Amino acid sequence: MPKHIVRLIILLVASGAIALIAKWFFTVESFYEYGHYRANSVPEIAAQEAVYKTARYCQSCHSERHAQWSASNHKSVTCETCHGAAQGHPEKGKLPIPADTVKLCTLCHEAMPGRPGTQPQIQVAQHSGGQQCKVCHNPHAPKIAAAAVKVTGDVAAGRQRAAACASCHGAEGISPNDTWPNLAGQSAAYLARILAAYKSGDQKDVVMTPLAQPLSDGDIRNLAAYYASLSCRTVPSTTRIGNAATGRALAKNCASCHGDTGIASNPAWPHLAGQKAGYLVNVLKAFRGGLRKDPMMAAVVRGLSDADIDNLAAYYAEQSCQPVTESRKTP
Amino acid sequence: MKREAIASLLARRTFLRKIGRAATCAGAIVAAGALGVTKKVAAKSESSSSRGSFPTKDYDWTKHRWGFGVDATKCIGCLRCVEACKRENNVPADAHHFNTWVERYVYLEGEAKARIDSQADPQNIAASGSETEYRFDNRYQDAKVEKAFFVPKLCNQCEHPPCVQVCPTGATYKAKDGVVLIDSKYCIGCQYCVQACPYGARYFNVRTGTTQKCYWCYHRITKGLQPACVEACPVGARIFGDRNDPQSPISLFIRNNRVQVLRPETGNAPNVFYVGIDKEVL
Repeated sequence: MPKHIVRLIILLVASGAIALIAKWFFTVESFYEYGHYRANSVPEIAAQEAVYKTARYCQSCHSERHAQWSASNHKSVTCETCHGAAQGHPEKGKLPIPADTVKLCTLCHEAMPGRPGTQPQIQVAQHSGGQQCKVCHNPHAPKIAAAAVKVTGDVAAGRQRAAACASCHGAEGISPNDTWPNLAGQSAAYLARILAAYKSGDQKDVVMTPLAQPLSDGDIRNLAAYYASLSCRTVPSTTRIGNAATGRALAKNCASCHGDTGIASNPAWPHLAGQKAGYLVNVLKAFRGGLRKDPMMAAVVRGLSDADIDNLAAYYAEQSCQPVTESRKTP
Repeated sequence: MKREAIASLLARRTFLRKIGRAATCAGAIVAAGALGVTKKVAAKSESSSSRGSFPTKDYDWTKHRWGFGVDATKCIGCLRCVEACKRENNVPADAHHFNTWVERYVYLEGEAKARIDSQADPQNIAASGSETEYRFDNRYQDAKVEKAFFVPKLCNQCEHPPCVQVCPTGATYKAKDGVVLIDSKYCIGCQYCVQACPYGARYFNVRTGTTQKCYWCYHRITKGLQPACVEACPVGARIFGDRNDPQSPISLFIRNNRVQVLRPETGNAPNVFYVGIDKEVL
């Protein structure tokens, strides 16, 4: 073989060898381990930290809220869907509580073509009159459960049974002092619900619990019907607390359930007009402190100060309950 | 003149001799190199067998075969999945880059073709108020709508992914559990894969200089969590699970529904299964 050809072959082999060595040198360890890629990149990708921590992570501290949420029909909406990703919480600070619930809730609940009929949807303009959703709906248990149950009872039987109640709630359902509520003209559905709650122990009171326990379901219906049939009276309060004018502004937040002047729109919710101010203060504080349990009330009273509560009570106490009693009388 | 020619010849001869020596040395190195390579191969086969479970000690990718389902009859177009995905995967916070997105198909009365928009539509951006928040506007509320539905989209993690086929550096590949991953350290940003994907699932991230796409939240599923979009979906329109487990949500979803995939004619064999879409959806 001619010398120059041999040299050329040697040259080609040498450059090939250099290329091979270069490839061997520059190819990282794990390349080709499973295929034409770097196997070590898989654990690298898998090692990234999860940003969304799931509801179980939230549960460890917010167990009470978690229990309420996980029993509600909002349980498919995870904590982090509304409050944002939990990565870095609680070390790096609080997660936001959405301020504009209209904007947030309508993402899912605005009536829109294309949304399946099973999704609860609202006409935003007509639904709340611009009020925030959380005024009526507790985001953690949004369904307003106290649907009006029509209560029919025997008024005469109720009157007999009510003799035992008269010493506190008054002979005609108008309480003689400021701490006990008036019952006259209250909606029957609400009265029946509350009495049943005392009976079952869902709601507790030193005086009411032992009195309600012996009541039969029939007794409860009769009592509710009797008190609902009485006509209410606004009795000027003996103790002067709060400022009714300031209370009026605050009461706008209550209006969608309890009405503008404390005449509830739905019989499941109590009328507040003409109610005793002292009683209203106690009840609101009980809701705030968690002694009385109601998801919706708990949510709306959370932000109220003692002064706010006094003002609200003063406002409702001086409203007239009369105008609608006529229409309320029908059982 | 002649002397100069002789001198140049001599110089050439010395040069060639040097080359010759270099070639001999190279030959020796080749031999050494070959030995080294065989050693290295041996070492590699050792390491993979000694590893136990891969890629993490709690997760063996040979034991899973992930699948994804989309039930368009349930989707309400709330876009919580898109928001969750953006946060989870560090997707650029603008209206042009998405690992997952949602399309709205609306057929108006008397119109043969669907009107299609997504959260990246200018009107929808205006409705949300910013490019980093997502919502569908209610533009069809007063229109006569014959049919309308929302379709979530994401990477199909194809059985035969064209993006992997075209990658020149081995930066994208199909993992043993079925997810197509991107090795961002090896991605050179040539964007050939972006062109190759028939679903538009890939995009180029200018900030990192690499391609990005949905990877079914590989860092979550290998830890036993659900992908962020599945976790966030309030109506169960997104279904995820292991197809090796006959009782997993995705196995039940595929078994109990007449599912379809997008663009089956491409032969990519997608692994995202749809219910409730029609022929307009590609």
